[in-house]
Amino acid sequence: MKRLQLQRWSSSALSSRARTDGRLQRQLCSSKRFQSTDATPVQPASEQLAEQQSFPSTTIRRPVRVSKYKLPSPPVQAAHESAKLAALHARLYLPSRLPLETLARCLINPSADRNPQFNNSSFSVLGHDLLTNYATEHLICTYPRLPLSVVFATLYAYVGPKTLAAMAREWGVEHAALPGGEVDPGLLQYKRVDPGTDLSTEPLVGTTRPNEDQKHWRKSINSSVVYDNEFGDPDLAGVPPSELQPEQAQNTKPVTMEQASADFVRSVMGAIYLHAGRAAAKRFFEQHILSRHLDISSLFNFSEPTRDLVRLCARENYEPPVAKIISETGRRSRTPVFVVGIFSGKDKLGEGAGASLPEARARAAVAALKGWYLYSPVEVRVPSTMEEEGAAPWKPVYVDLGEVVS
Amino acid sequence: MATFITVSRRPIMGMPFGIPFLLPSYEPVSLESRRNQSSYRRTKQRLRIKPDASFGLSSDKSHSHIVYNPPSSSPSVYHTPTKFLPANDARRSLRADNYANAPAVEELPSVFKSEAEKKYHLTPSDVTEIRKLRLNDPMTWSRGKLAKRFDCSPLFIAQVCQTSPQKKEIQKQVLEAVQSRWGAKRRMAREDRKLRKESWGRDE
Amino acid sequence: MPVQGIRTVATAQNGVGAFILQCKRLDFHYCDWAGSSRGMNAFLKHALPAFAKENPQIEIRISPRPHKHPIIKGHYINGREKAVCVRNLEPEQITQKANLLKQASGEKLKRTKKPVTSINDSVRGIWSPYHGGLKTI
Repeated sequence: MKRLQLQRWSSSALSSRARTDGRLQRQLCSSKRFQSTDATPVQPASEQLAEQQSFPSTTIRRPVRVSKYKLPSPPVQAAHESAKLAALHARLYLPSRLPLETLARCLINPSADRNPQFNNSSFSVLGHDLLTNYATEHLICTYPRLPLSVVFATLYAYVGPKTLAAMAREWGVEHAALPGGEVDPGLLQYKRVDPGTDLSTEPLVGTTRPNEDQKHWRKSINSSVVYDNEFGDPDLAGVPPSELQPEQAQNTKPVTMEQASADFVRSVMGAIYLHAGRAAAKRFFEQHILSRHLDISSLFNFSEPTRDLVRLCARENYEPPVAKIISETGRRSRTPVFVVGIFSGKDKLGEGAGASLPEARARAAVAALKGWYLYSPVEVRVPSTMEEEGAAPWKPVYVDLGEVVS
Repeated sequence: MATFITVSRRPIMGMPFGIPFLLPSYEPVSLESRRNQSSYRRTKQRLRIKPDASFGLSSDKSHSHIVYNPPSSSPSVYHTPTKFLPANDARRSLRADNYANAPAVEELPSVFKSEAEKKYHLTPSDVTEIRKLRLNDPMTWSRGKLAKRFDCSPLFIAQVCQTSPQKKEIQKQVLEAVQSRWGAKRRMAREDRKLRKESWGRDE
Repeated sequence: MPVQGIRTVATAQNGVGAFILQCKRLDFHYCDWAGSSRGMNAFLKHALPAFAKENPQIEIRISPRPHKHPIIKGHYINGREKAVCVRNLEPEQITQKANLLKQASGEKLKRTKKPVTSINDSVRGIWSPYHGGLKTI
């Protein structure tokens, strides 16, 4: 899968002012922020925001005091006044090194505030890479023989947008109706998609796959490794923001609740990594993601199980599989049950029960193939354990030939 | 214990017929409405059978042995078959003696009625002959007829050659004509059968 | 394509890895005038800071509700809420009620009939008459 360069990431994702509490406060007092060039100084409120404006489009650099009602997202100082935010911080048992300001920034989607200094885009990119990295290494080391399509489905089930959105719901994250500077910073802020919008009709533009407009071309599963994202979906993240249309950059695109919630969970992961370190991030992943229940054996969908099993036995130099009736009842009745086992030589590969002999045979072949694909070594160790202090020397993990191709 | 209860119950069950009339709680009930003999306790009592002989301690060995009691359920798919384990996996040696009393594979009946033995008697010239016949006169030389003539399976004919597009079109029209005469019941039954077959692969 | 993956969502098991307290907000309502709020007012003055410090996971809101009995209302992650009337109760009793709301899961109360409820498969599988030590008659 894709390589991560975490050291480089961490320095660019975390702006200098967000790194420590002391520096954060000092920067806040010294620098100024304004969102638009034509912002007029209105009533100086007590919660004035002062931050450096870093947009290249701005030419005038003069200190302007902006009311919080004019800001696209809540000011940084408001983070310490929000009971919701503190409660969320405590509810997730986040490390104390992660300040409330960062958690408040995690709750601001780029669709609410497009200034990358104040939204969670950089955190969520980092968190997404961390989540998929940890999930992938766990999956590939635990089940080394899983076929690629099932790996995609399993990753989707563990760190896919639907799961992350469900996690945000289970954490009790509430959503703001409309983003703005006066909103409680403990609410998830994003620009909502208008009701009734059909999301599936939008043309798929900006993927990394060549000839993306050809809808009817065959898409092989191996090309998904190169061109698609971690879940086998078209990869839209490959386009750098500079190539986007200028009008697209001006008007932020609304996002769905699922996307915004998933981005929040990802950015919490990224923020933990940046503030509390690698060990805390991995612990967070294990406690919140790996602890979820997933039966991987239910994610398989075979179309030709018997043919695949014959190919598998031929590839591995086993005797060709033979289906035998182990037991049966009610053959001439309305509700017969056959238990068929598939044997290769003297060994039983799998067995299945069905109301007809072909059904029982197909189910037995499915069980045998799942027995092959769901092999798991006795001792599983993932590569990221080498990052711990005093780790034992690395022993190579079991690597399989690959899935059965027919 | 069990015998004691049955003995102590007996006098009540075999009560002389005259006495119940004297009891205040007596209600003349018909035989049909009386409570069934089987109660939870009685069913439990009858199920209380001796443990299987294999559970007990054998006399010739010392008392430190493991009782191997396979579950009476279909095996889990997470339990990798021994044949599929890599050569250096520790589970291979652990499982070695557990399957000593498994039934012999040769004795089990096959799923198919008769296994067609493979002959491998067709030569390349026969294959070209098949292709020529099928291409020139697809209406006469169907898969079944060719299979009968060359003494092979229709599946082999399909693997070797394809029919002409005209024949395919005609066959498609024939199928559509047949299917157009199906009623709602038959069509639905066929669709259900197809869906059921797809569910086998998902193991539902 | 020989095998396809089926997309699902992994189900949460709260408490298996991380534990998320299900009570996310407690609303305390009091009345300045009415006598039934005397205990509640004492609780808000003296016991609530300690309670809030013990339970930082819970957002606490206090608001007057004039000419009404005092209540505590718990808001839960599953979207339900529970309200308890605390009229004429002593501060210690109100602390008990607040703890009750804090520990609740927010679900409707229901009778549990089985000692264990689990989504994991049983170790020995589902019993089948065709497996195990079959006895020949």
